[in-house]
Amino acid sequence: MSASHPGADVLLQCTDVVKHFPVTSGSLGGGHATVHAVDGVSLQVQQGETLGLVGETGCGKSTLARCIARLYDLTAGTVEFDGRDLTGLSRRQLRPIRRQIQVIFQDPYGSLNPRRRVGSIIGDPFAIHGIDSRAQRKRRVQELMERVGLNPEHYNRFPSEFSGGQRQRIGTARALALRPKMIICDEPVSALDVSIQAQILNLLADLQAELGLTYIFISHDLSVVRHVSNRIAVMYLGKIVETAPTADLFERTRHPYTRALLSALPAPDPDAADSRERIVLAGDPPSPTNPPAGCRFHPRCPKARNDCIANDPDLVPRLGDHASHRTACLHPLQIGEDMSIAIPQIGDSEIAADTIATSEGAS
Amino acid sequence: MALLEVRDLHVTFDTADGAVQAVRGLSFDVEAGKTLAIVGESGSGKSVSTQTITGLTRGARISGEAVFDGLDLLSASAHELRRVRGAKIGMIFQDPLSSLHPYYRVGWQIVEMIRAHDRSVSRNQARARAVELLRLVGIPGADRRIDDYPHQFSGGMRQRVMIAMAMALDPMLLIADEPTTALDVTVQAQVLAVMRNLQEEFGTAIILITHDLGVVAEMCDEVVVMYAGGVMERAGRREIFYRHHHPYTEGLLASLPAQGAPGERLTPIAGTPPSLISLPPGCPFAPRCAYAFDKCWAHRPPLDPVFGDPAHTSACWLSGDEQVRARQRDALERAREESA
Repeated sequence: MSASHPGADVLLQCTDVVKHFPVTSGSLGGGHATVHAVDGVSLQVQQGETLGLVGETGCGKSTLARCIARLYDLTAGTVEFDGRDLTGLSRRQLRPIRRQIQVIFQDPYGSLNPRRRVGSIIGDPFAIHGIDSRAQRKRRVQELMERVGLNPEHYNRFPSEFSGGQRQRIGTARALALRPKMIICDEPVSALDVSIQAQILNLLADLQAELGLTYIFISHDLSVVRHVSNRIAVMYLGKIVETAPTADLFERTRHPYTRALLSALPAPDPDAADSRERIVLAGDPPSPTNPPAGCRFHPRCPKARNDCIANDPDLVPRLGDHASHRTACLHPLQIGEDMSIAIPQIGDSEIAADTIATSEGAS
Repeated sequence: MALLEVRDLHVTFDTADGAVQAVRGLSFDVEAGKTLAIVGESGSGKSVSTQTITGLTRGARISGEAVFDGLDLLSASAHELRRVRGAKIGMIFQDPLSSLHPYYRVGWQIVEMIRAHDRSVSRNQARARAVELLRLVGIPGADRRIDDYPHQFSGGMRQRVMIAMAMALDPMLLIADEPTTALDVTVQAQVLAVMRNLQEEFGTAIILITHDLGVVAEMCDEVVVMYAGGVMERAGRREIFYRHHHPYTEGLLASLPAQGAPGERLTPIAGTPPSLISLPPGCPFAPRCAYAFDKCWAHRPPLDPVFGDPAHTSACWLSGDEQVRARQRDALERAREESA
């Protein structure tokens, strides 16, 4: 795809995007805290490619997506789309841009109004943006329904009459209505059974090929992301820890967190399951209200050293990697390095297994 | 004799829309110390069947047998069932937060659970046992955390608390219903490791209900594949992945993104699962099956041994003989291409 050749058009450019949420913490109504949901993310998406965004619950991947679609205002940083800075635009100025960036949400039940007919749900974008007359709209909606594999005769049905997979097709039709350039797919298949999941993934691939769409594909499921993405960015606690072309990320994994994530993914293959390296990380991801100093992964990292506590590593090519493969780690993995034997060389009090109890107990 | 023998289990719920046949003639065995996976998609009846066995489906019409350690659980009295449930059969569910009482400290809940089954254990003994259990499932600082409330634990830690509670009375069987579905993969790996270690140490049999074939490949000895309330195929772990017989099993595996090369088209199963209210007379998978022929629509196939292996059964009219089957498949594909 176009992503593979350099000089392809940059469609989206995020620079140092920060999104903090203020929260009131404590049952006594005392202090204020800040959730560092996205904490300085820079990334580029090229025209026509699929960028996979992976990470665990609370890593900030959905918040980042919402910042890009400007569903949230940024705390700091800039988002440029198609050469235009969206950061300071008013709601009104954003309107034409919203036609270009659409979102497909995870929950096919929560994202469709149960009291409205499917035809009007899919036709909403036309109505909101004042496109076409009523009669023309109906025809356009039925074309869209056909394109995503729904029966156009079901125009007057309600969402409850559709299965989960069909509802996700409805959400897709709605996202396609205004012929966007980019679609942000936020866990679009996570709520679906595998046999249905494959139908939707194929549909998204077909639409991309036909319409030249650019996708940001968010998921916690690495096998899905691997399948759909040209490039992948791995997020941990509000930051990108590693980004690379898909094959590179899997074959030349540099960041210990990426490696742990890959090794934790259960392979649907008994031989692979029996023979593969298993890295079981200590503890849980820390709270984004109070991220660890230095490298945010250091309390759980088997390769942590003292300099990881003091320094927050930059996202740059490491160990002679190509410019497209960047890793935020001071002690990146060599190819073929066995991480399962690594032992953290930092003070015990810095290791997650012991700190969780106190940090959580106190929160 | 197997630890648990389920025979011809039927579970039907009467609803305003009609009778929902959630489980239709389910039979399986669980051997002591082994792990049996029950795999299936939403609505396949995998959870309802184990909930029925443990007496948790009120208001359902139930028939069949589920003999556990010599006692038929389906005809047992409420009193008999209470003595088995929790003590001899431990249970963990997908969402640990709704299985733990939010107002009580976790230690108190484990102590209660132990003392509910055996009043001769003193509070102090039970508390010491609770600390030991929390340590066993890998909760750091167990002696302090025993006095925390459920909300003070993360999702993975809560699931460990649930496992500790389920293991409190040293059960012979642990039923784990989607235990890691709500967890992130790195935390899932931790919880699966805990379950594996406990099984090794105590020889507990496990029924693992899941939709995740990756978890099945990691954890199980035997696999039951369910669809529309019935067993489609049952076999050892390797057979299910490498030498499956049923087209539904084949379809499930083929639709996984992990199977194809990145970017390639996936092979989904066409259509959607049938409504459990008005099931067709024949094979419930026939409407979605690429190999279906006349007989499939008319008669429901029995669960018979295939490939000459008595431990490998499949409910499908296609031949168990691989060569005959390949010929059948080719003929059907040709016929379809001609008609298309």
